[in-house]
Amino acid sequence: MDVFLPIAQVFVNPIEILLLSAIVGVLSGLFGVGGGFLMTPFLIFLGVPPAYAVANEANNILATSVSGSTTHYLKNTLDYKMGLMIVIGGVVGTALGIYIFTYFKGIGKIDTVISLAYMYILAIIGTLMLVESLGEIDKKKRNLIVKKKLHVHYWIHGLPLRMRFPKSKLYESVFTPIIIGLIVGFIAAIMGIGGAFILVPAMIYIIKMPTKLVPGTSLFVTIFVSVIVTFLHSFNFGSIDLMLVVMLVTGSIIGVQVGQKLGEKIDSSGLKALLAILLLIVGIAIAYETFFTDKPEQKIIQVLTSDLNFFSLFILEFSEDMPFFYGLFSIMFAIILGIGAALIRRIFSNFKKKMLLKKS
Amino acid sequence: MSFSNVKIVKNLSNFKVAFIKTGIFVGLAAYWGVILVGTFITFG
Repeated sequence: MDVFLPIAQVFVNPIEILLLSAIVGVLSGLFGVGGGFLMTPFLIFLGVPPAYAVANEANNILATSVSGSTTHYLKNTLDYKMGLMIVIGGVVGTALGIYIFTYFKGIGKIDTVISLAYMYILAIIGTLMLVESLGEIDKKKRNLIVKKKLHVHYWIHGLPLRMRFPKSKLYESVFTPIIIGLIVGFIAAIMGIGGAFILVPAMIYIIKMPTKLVPGTSLFVTIFVSVIVTFLHSFNFGSIDLMLVVMLVTGSIIGVQVGQKLGEKIDSSGLKALLAILLLIVGIAIAYETFFTDKPEQKIIQVLTSDLNFFSLFILEFSEDMPFFYGLFSIMFAIILGIGAALIRRIFSNFKKKMLLKKS
Repeated sequence: MSFSNVKIVKNLSNFKVAFIKTGIFVGLAAYWGVILVGTFITFG
Protein backbone atom coordinates (compact mmCIF):
# COMPACT_ATOMS: atom_id res chain seq x y z
CA MET A 1 0.00 0.00 0.00
CA ASP A 2 1.96 2.99 -1.28
CA VAL A 3 1.04 6.62 -0.64
CA PHE A 4 1.76 9.44 -3.08
CA LEU A 5 3.60 12.42 -1.59
CA PRO A 6 2.12 15.45 -3.39
CA ILE A 7 5.11 17.78 -2.88
CA ALA A 8 8.03 15.33 -3.20
CA GLN A 9 6.19 13.66 -6.13
CA VAL A 10 7.13 10.10 -5.16
CA PHE A 11 5.31 7.03 -3.86
CA VAL A 12 6.36 5.75 -0.43
CA ASN A 13 5.24 2.96 1.89
CA PRO A 14 3.82 4.65 5.04
CA ILE A 15 4.41 1.57 7.22
CA GLU A 16 8.11 1.53 6.28
CA ILE A 17 8.47 5.23 7.12
CA LEU A 18 6.57 4.90 10.40
CA LEU A 19 8.65 1.89 11.46
CA LEU A 20 11.97 3.44 10.50
CA SER A 21 11.22 6.75 12.21
CA ALA A 22 10.08 4.87 15.33
CA ILE A 23 13.34 2.81 15.36
CA VAL A 24 15.44 5.95 14.87
CA GLY A 25 13.34 7.60 17.62
CA VAL A 26 14.15 4.73 20.02
CA LEU A 27 17.87 5.13 19.22
CA SER A 28 17.64 8.90 19.81
CA GLY A 29 15.92 8.40 23.14
CA LEU A 30 18.41 5.73 24.16
CA PHE A 31 21.64 7.50 23.17
CA GLY A 32 20.54 11.15 23.46
CA VAL A 33 21.28 11.94 19.82
CA GLY A 34 18.90 13.72 17.46
CA GLY A 35 18.63 10.92 14.92
CA GLY A 36 18.50 13.24 11.90
CA PHE A 37 21.81 11.91 10.60
CA LEU A 38 20.24 8.44 10.39
CA MET A 39 16.69 9.29 9.26
CA THR A 40 17.65 11.53 6.33
CA PRO A 41 19.81 8.82 4.68
CA PHE A 42 17.01 6.28 5.33
CA LEU A 43 14.53 8.58 3.55
CA ILE A 44 16.95 8.88 0.62
CA PHE A 45 17.21 5.06 0.46
CA LEU A 46 13.39 4.86 0.43
CA GLY A 47 13.34 6.99 -2.72
CA VAL A 48 12.66 10.48 -1.34
CA PRO A 49 14.86 12.98 -3.26
CA PRO A 50 17.71 14.27 -0.98
CA ALA A 51 16.60 17.92 -1.13
CA TYR A 52 13.11 16.89 0.13
CA ALA A 53 14.50 14.44 2.70
CA VAL A 54 16.61 17.22 4.28
CA ALA A 55 13.73 19.72 4.52
CA ASN A 56 11.15 17.29 5.91
CA GLU A 57 13.54 15.77 8.44
CA ALA A 58 14.27 19.30 9.72
CA ASN A 59 10.51 19.72 10.33
CA ASN A 60 10.44 16.36 12.13
CA ILE A 61 13.41 17.38 14.32
CA LEU A 62 11.48 20.52 15.26
CA ALA A 63 8.64 18.42 16.69
CA THR A 64 10.93 16.07 18.65
CA SER A 65 13.10 18.92 20.00
CA VAL A 66 9.99 20.87 21.12
CA SER A 67 8.79 17.73 22.88
CA GLY A 68 12.15 17.14 24.61
CA SER A 69 12.66 20.82 25.44
CA THR A 70 9.22 21.10 27.07
CA THR A 71 10.11 18.13 29.29
CA HIS A 72 13.35 19.89 30.35
CA TYR A 73 11.47 23.19 30.86
CA LEU A 74 9.12 21.42 33.26
CA LYS A 75 12.17 19.99 35.09
CA ASN A 76 13.93 23.44 35.09
CA THR A 77 17.07 22.08 33.42
CA LEU A 78 17.52 24.77 30.74
CA ASP A 79 19.95 27.73 30.44
CA TYR A 80 18.02 30.24 28.28
CA LYS A 81 20.74 32.91 28.26
CA MET A 82 23.41 30.54 26.96
CA GLY A 83 20.87 29.00 24.56
CA LEU A 84 19.99 32.40 23.07
CA MET A 85 23.68 33.22 22.49
CA ILE A 86 24.10 29.96 20.56
CA VAL A 87 20.88 30.75 18.65
CA ILE A 88 22.33 34.12 17.48
CA GLY A 89 25.25 32.25 15.87
CA GLY A 90 22.83 29.58 14.66
CA VAL A 91 20.69 32.11 12.76
CA VAL A 92 23.73 33.44 10.86
CA GLY A 93 25.02 29.90 10.19
CA THR A 94 21.61 28.74 8.93
CA ALA A 95 21.29 31.69 6.54
CA LEU A 96 24.80 30.93 5.23
CA GLY A 97 23.94 27.24 4.86
CA ILE A 98 20.74 28.00 2.92
CA TYR A 99 22.76 30.31 0.63
CA ILE A 100 25.23 27.48 -0.14
CA PHE A 101 22.29 25.03 -0.54
CA THR A 102 20.66 27.40 -3.06
CA TYR A 103 23.95 27.72 -4.99
CA PHE A 104 24.42 23.95 -5.35
CA LYS A 105 20.72 23.46 -6.16
CA GLY A 106 21.12 26.08 -8.88
CA ILE A 107 24.00 24.22 -10.56
CA GLY A 108 22.21 20.86 -10.11
CA LYS A 109 24.78 19.33 -7.72
CA ILE A 110 22.81 19.45 -4.46
CA ASP A 111 22.09 15.69 -4.34
CA THR A 112 25.80 14.83 -4.66
CA VAL A 113 26.75 17.43 -2.04
CA ILE A 114 24.19 16.06 0.46
CA SER A 115 25.31 12.45 -0.14
CA LEU A 116 28.99 13.37 0.30
CA ALA A 117 28.30 15.43 3.41
CA TYR A 118 26.41 12.51 4.97
CA MET A 119 29.07 10.01 4.01
CA TYR A 120 31.83 12.01 5.71
CA ILE A 121 29.83 13.05 8.77
CA LEU A 122 28.72 9.43 9.39
CA ALA A 123 32.28 8.21 8.89
CA ILE A 124 33.64 10.79 11.37
CA ILE A 125 30.97 10.21 14.06
CA GLY A 126 31.06 6.42 13.56
CA THR A 127 34.86 6.28 13.88
CA LEU A 128 34.98 8.54 16.97
CA MET A 129 32.09 6.70 18.64
CA LEU A 130 33.61 3.27 17.93
CA VAL A 131 37.04 4.26 19.25
CA GLU A 132 35.47 5.88 22.37
CA SER A 133 33.17 2.96 23.16
CA LEU A 134 35.93 0.37 22.67
CA GLY A 135 38.12 2.42 25.00
CA GLU A 136 35.31 2.50 27.60
CA ILE A 137 34.84 -1.28 27.37
CA ASP A 138 38.63 -1.78 27.69
CA LYS A 139 38.77 0.50 30.76
CA LYS A 140 35.82 -1.30 32.38
CA LYS A 141 37.56 -4.67 31.88
CA ARG A 142 40.81 -3.44 33.39
CA ASN A 143 39.04 -1.38 36.11
CA LEU A 144 41.07 1.68 35.11
CA ILE A 145 40.20 5.11 36.49
CA VAL A 146 41.57 7.94 34.34
CA LYS A 147 42.10 11.25 36.08
CA LYS A 148 41.05 14.17 33.89
CA LYS A 149 42.27 17.74 34.16
CA LEU A 150 39.65 20.03 35.68
CA HIS A 151 40.32 23.02 33.42
CA VAL A 152 41.80 22.83 29.92
CA HIS A 153 41.98 26.22 28.20
CA TYR A 154 41.80 26.58 24.42
CA TRP A 155 42.25 29.72 22.30
CA ILE A 156 38.45 30.11 22.26
CA HIS A 157 38.49 30.92 26.01
CA GLY A 158 40.70 33.95 25.43
CA LEU A 159 38.10 35.77 23.31
CA PRO A 160 36.88 39.22 24.44
CA LEU A 161 33.38 40.42 25.55
CA ARG A 162 32.98 38.17 28.56
CA MET A 163 29.55 37.75 30.12
CA ARG A 164 28.07 36.04 33.18
CA PHE A 165 25.78 33.05 32.73
CA PRO A 166 24.30 32.63 36.25
CA LYS A 167 22.40 29.41 35.60
CA SER A 168 25.52 27.62 34.31
CA LYS A 169 27.72 29.52 36.81
CA LEU A 170 30.07 30.59 34.00
CA TYR A 171 31.96 33.75 33.01
CA GLU A 172 32.53 33.28 29.29
CA SER A 173 33.11 35.30 26.10
CA VAL A 174 29.88 35.71 24.08
CA PHE A 175 31.83 34.68 20.97
CA THR A 176 32.30 31.10 22.22
CA PRO A 177 28.59 30.11 22.04
CA ILE A 178 28.08 32.28 18.91
CA ILE A 179 30.87 30.49 16.96
CA ILE A 180 29.53 27.08 18.02
CA GLY A 181 26.00 28.12 16.96
CA LEU A 182 27.32 29.30 13.60
CA ILE A 183 28.85 25.89 12.80
CA VAL A 184 25.73 24.01 13.98
CA GLY A 185 23.35 26.25 11.98
CA PHE A 186 25.41 25.86 8.80
CA ILE A 187 25.47 22.05 9.02
CA ALA A 188 21.75 21.91 9.95
CA ALA A 189 20.73 23.92 6.88
CA ILE A 190 22.67 21.75 4.44
CA MET A 191 22.01 18.35 5.99
CA GLY A 192 18.64 18.65 7.73
CA ILE A 193 19.93 17.58 11.13
CA GLY A 194 19.61 19.12 14.58
CA GLY A 195 23.37 19.20 15.17
CA ALA A 196 23.20 17.81 18.73
CA PHE A 197 26.21 15.60 18.01
CA ILE A 198 28.34 18.78 17.69
CA LEU A 199 26.45 20.92 20.19
CA VAL A 200 26.48 18.48 23.13
CA PRO A 201 30.27 17.78 23.19
CA ALA A 202 30.97 21.49 22.49
CA MET A 203 28.77 22.54 25.45
CA ILE A 204 30.47 20.05 27.78
CA TYR A 205 34.13 20.33 26.72
CA ILE A 206 34.44 23.84 25.25
CA ILE A 207 31.81 25.96 27.03
CA LYS A 208 32.08 23.71 30.13
CA MET A 209 28.39 23.84 31.06
CA PRO A 210 27.07 21.63 33.88
CA THR A 211 26.09 18.30 32.32
CA LYS A 212 22.51 18.39 33.68
CA LEU A 213 21.79 21.63 31.73
CA VAL A 214 23.28 20.37 28.43
CA PRO A 215 20.48 18.21 26.89
CA GLY A 216 17.72 20.78 27.59
CA THR A 217 19.76 23.74 26.29
CA SER A 218 20.84 21.76 23.22
CA LEU A 219 17.19 20.93 22.42
CA PHE A 220 16.22 24.58 23.02
CA VAL A 221 18.80 25.69 20.41
CA THR A 222 17.68 22.98 18.01
CA ILE A 223 14.11 24.37 18.09
CA PHE A 224 15.25 27.74 16.71
CA VAL A 225 17.66 26.28 14.17
CA SER A 226 15.09 23.80 12.83
CA VAL A 227 12.36 26.49 12.71
CA ILE A 228 14.59 28.63 10.47
CA VAL A 229 15.67 25.67 8.33
CA THR A 230 12.06 24.48 7.92
CA PHE A 231 10.76 27.94 7.07
CA LEU A 232 13.53 28.78 4.58
CA HIS A 233 13.26 25.40 2.85
CA SER A 234 9.48 25.75 2.67
CA PHE A 235 9.51 29.34 1.45
CA ASN A 236 12.48 29.10 -0.97
CA PHE A 237 12.00 25.64 -2.44
CA GLY A 238 8.46 24.59 -1.41
CA SER A 239 9.90 21.25 -0.30
CA ILE A 240 7.97 20.57 2.95
CA ASP A 241 5.51 17.72 2.41
CA LEU A 242 3.03 17.62 5.31
CA MET A 243 2.00 14.08 4.39
CA LEU A 244 5.60 12.90 4.97
CA VAL A 245 5.98 15.09 8.07
CA VAL A 246 2.89 13.51 9.72
CA MET A 247 4.36 10.01 9.26
CA LEU A 248 7.83 11.04 10.46
CA VAL A 249 6.62 12.95 13.53
CA THR A 250 4.19 10.22 14.63
CA GLY A 251 6.84 7.49 14.43
CA SER A 252 9.67 9.45 16.02
CA ILE A 253 7.69 10.93 18.93
CA ILE A 254 6.50 7.46 19.97
CA GLY A 255 10.00 6.03 19.44
CA VAL A 256 11.73 8.75 21.50
CA GLN A 257 9.43 8.13 24.50
CA VAL A 258 10.12 4.36 24.30
CA GLY A 259 13.87 4.99 23.92
CA GLN A 260 14.00 7.34 26.94
CA LYS A 261 12.18 4.75 29.08
CA LEU A 262 14.56 2.00 27.88
CA GLY A 263 17.55 4.26 28.62
CA GLU A 264 16.46 4.53 32.27
CA LYS A 265 16.46 0.74 32.58
CA ILE A 266 19.50 -0.50 30.61
CA ASP A 267 23.18 0.47 30.44
CA SER A 268 23.68 1.83 26.94
CA SER A 269 27.51 2.12 26.94
CA GLY A 270 27.94 -1.36 25.47
CA LEU A 271 25.34 -0.62 22.80
CA LYS A 272 27.27 2.50 21.73
CA ALA A 273 29.71 0.36 19.71
CA LEU A 274 26.73 -1.19 17.89
CA LEU A 275 25.32 2.26 17.04
CA ALA A 276 28.77 3.28 15.76
CA ILE A 277 28.88 0.20 13.50
CA LEU A 278 25.35 1.02 12.26
CA LEU A 279 26.47 4.56 11.38
CA LEU A 280 29.49 3.22 9.50
CA ILE A 281 27.28 0.75 7.59
CA VAL A 282 24.88 3.55 6.56
CA GLY A 283 27.90 5.66 5.54
CA ILE A 284 29.34 2.88 3.36
CA ALA A 285 25.88 2.26 1.81
CA ILE A 286 25.72 5.93 0.79
CA ALA A 287 29.29 5.70 -0.56
CA TYR A 288 28.32 2.62 -2.60
CA GLU A 289 25.25 4.38 -4.04
CA THR A 290 27.19 7.56 -4.79
CA PHE A 291 30.33 6.02 -6.31
CA PHE A 292 29.52 2.61 -7.69
CA THR A 293 25.91 2.47 -8.89
CA ASP A 294 24.80 3.85 -12.23
CA LYS A 295 22.18 6.45 -11.67
CA PRO A 296 19.04 5.37 -13.55
CA GLU A 297 17.20 8.14 -15.30
CA GLN A 298 14.63 9.44 -12.91
CA LYS A 299 11.14 8.34 -13.77
CA ILE A 300 8.80 11.23 -14.22
CA ILE A 301 5.68 10.41 -12.27
CA GLN A 302 2.66 12.12 -13.59
CA VAL A 303 -0.30 12.01 -11.28
CA LEU A 304 -3.28 14.01 -12.37
CA THR A 305 -4.60 16.51 -9.85
CA SER A 306 -8.01 14.87 -10.17
CA ASP A 307 -6.47 11.56 -8.95
CA LEU A 308 -5.27 13.10 -5.68
CA ASN A 309 -7.28 12.64 -2.50
CA PHE A 310 -8.64 15.62 -0.53
CA PHE A 311 -5.69 15.80 1.88
CA SER A 312 -3.02 15.66 -0.88
CA LEU A 313 -4.87 18.24 -2.97
CA PHE A 314 -5.17 20.55 0.06
CA ILE A 315 -1.41 20.28 0.76
CA LEU A 316 -0.50 20.90 -2.89
CA GLU A 317 -2.76 23.95 -3.30
CA PHE A 318 -1.89 25.39 0.11
CA SER A 319 1.88 25.17 -0.58
CA GLU A 320 1.55 26.67 -4.07
CA ASP A 321 -0.94 29.45 -3.28
CA MET A 322 0.35 30.56 0.14
CA PRO A 323 3.99 29.41 0.63
CA PHE A 324 4.55 31.80 3.56
CA PHE A 325 1.53 30.58 5.54
CA TYR A 326 2.24 26.97 4.53
CA GLY A 327 5.72 27.31 6.09
CA LEU A 328 4.20 28.83 9.25
CA PHE A 329 1.55 26.11 9.37
CA SER A 330 4.12 23.29 9.13
CA ILE A 331 6.14 24.90 11.96
CA MET A 332 3.07 25.37 14.19
CA PHE A 333 1.94 21.83 13.43
CA ALA A 334 5.28 20.38 14.59
CA ILE A 335 5.36 22.60 17.71
CA ILE A 336 1.82 21.66 18.79
CA LEU A 337 2.51 17.93 18.27
CA GLY A 338 5.78 18.22 20.22
CA ILE A 339 4.23 20.05 23.20
CA GLY A 340 1.26 17.67 23.15
CA ALA A 341 3.56 14.62 23.34
CA ALA A 342 5.54 16.12 26.26
CA LEU A 343 2.35 16.97 28.19
CA ILE A 344 0.90 13.51 27.63
CA ARG A 345 4.15 12.01 28.95
CA ARG A 346 3.98 14.29 32.02
CA ILE A 347 0.36 13.32 32.73
CA PHE A 348 1.25 9.63 32.42
CA SER A 349 4.25 9.88 34.75
CA ASN A 350 2.22 11.88 37.35
CA PHE A 351 -0.53 9.28 37.14
CA LYS A 352 2.02 6.49 37.63
CA LYS A 353 3.53 8.28 40.66
CA LYS A 354 0.06 8.70 42.22
CA MET A 355 -0.72 5.02 41.69
CA LEU A 356 2.59 4.00 43.30
CA LEU A 357 1.90 6.28 46.28
CA LYS A 358 -1.58 4.83 46.69
CA LYS A 359 -0.16 1.30 46.65
CA SER A 360 2.45 2.11 49.28
CA MET B 1 53.80 -26.44 35.29
CA SER B 2 50.61 -24.55 36.28
CA PHE B 3 52.61 -21.30 36.33
CA SER B 4 53.58 -21.74 32.64
CA ASN B 5 49.95 -22.58 31.75
CA VAL B 6 48.74 -19.30 33.29
CA LYS B 7 51.42 -17.49 31.31
CA ILE B 8 50.27 -19.13 28.04
CA VAL B 9 46.60 -18.29 28.71
CA LYS B 10 47.55 -14.69 29.51
CA ASN B 11 49.62 -14.43 26.34
CA LEU B 12 46.76 -15.93 24.31
CA SER B 13 44.23 -13.42 25.67
CA ASN B 14 46.68 -10.56 24.99
CA PHE B 15 47.12 -11.88 21.45
CA LYS B 16 43.30 -12.00 21.00
CA VAL B 17 42.89 -8.38 22.14
CA ALA B 18 45.72 -7.24 19.85
CA PHE B 19 44.18 -9.19 16.96
CA ILE B 20 40.72 -7.57 17.48
CA LYS B 21 42.27 -4.10 17.79
CA THR B 22 44.29 -4.60 14.59
CA GLY B 23 41.17 -5.88 12.82
CA ILE B 24 39.17 -2.80 13.82
CA PHE B 25 42.01 -0.50 12.80
CA VAL B 26 42.39 -2.22 9.40
CA GLY B 27 38.60 -2.11 8.89
CA LEU B 28 38.43 1.61 9.65
CA ALA B 29 41.45 2.32 7.43
CA ALA B 30 39.81 0.39 4.55
CA TYR B 31 36.54 2.25 5.13
CA TRP B 32 38.22 5.66 4.99
CA GLY B 33 40.26 4.52 1.98
CA VAL B 34 37.09 3.62 0.05
CA ILE B 35 35.35 6.95 0.69
CA LEU B 36 38.44 9.08 0.07
CA VAL B 37 39.41 7.26 -3.15
CA GLY B 38 35.75 7.30 -4.27
CA THR B 39 35.56 11.07 -3.73
CA PHE B 40 38.77 11.67 -5.69
CA ILE B 41 37.61 9.43 -8.58
CA THR B 42 34.15 11.09 -8.68
CA PHE B 43 35.59 14.58 -8.81
CA GLY B 44 38.57 13.61 -10.95
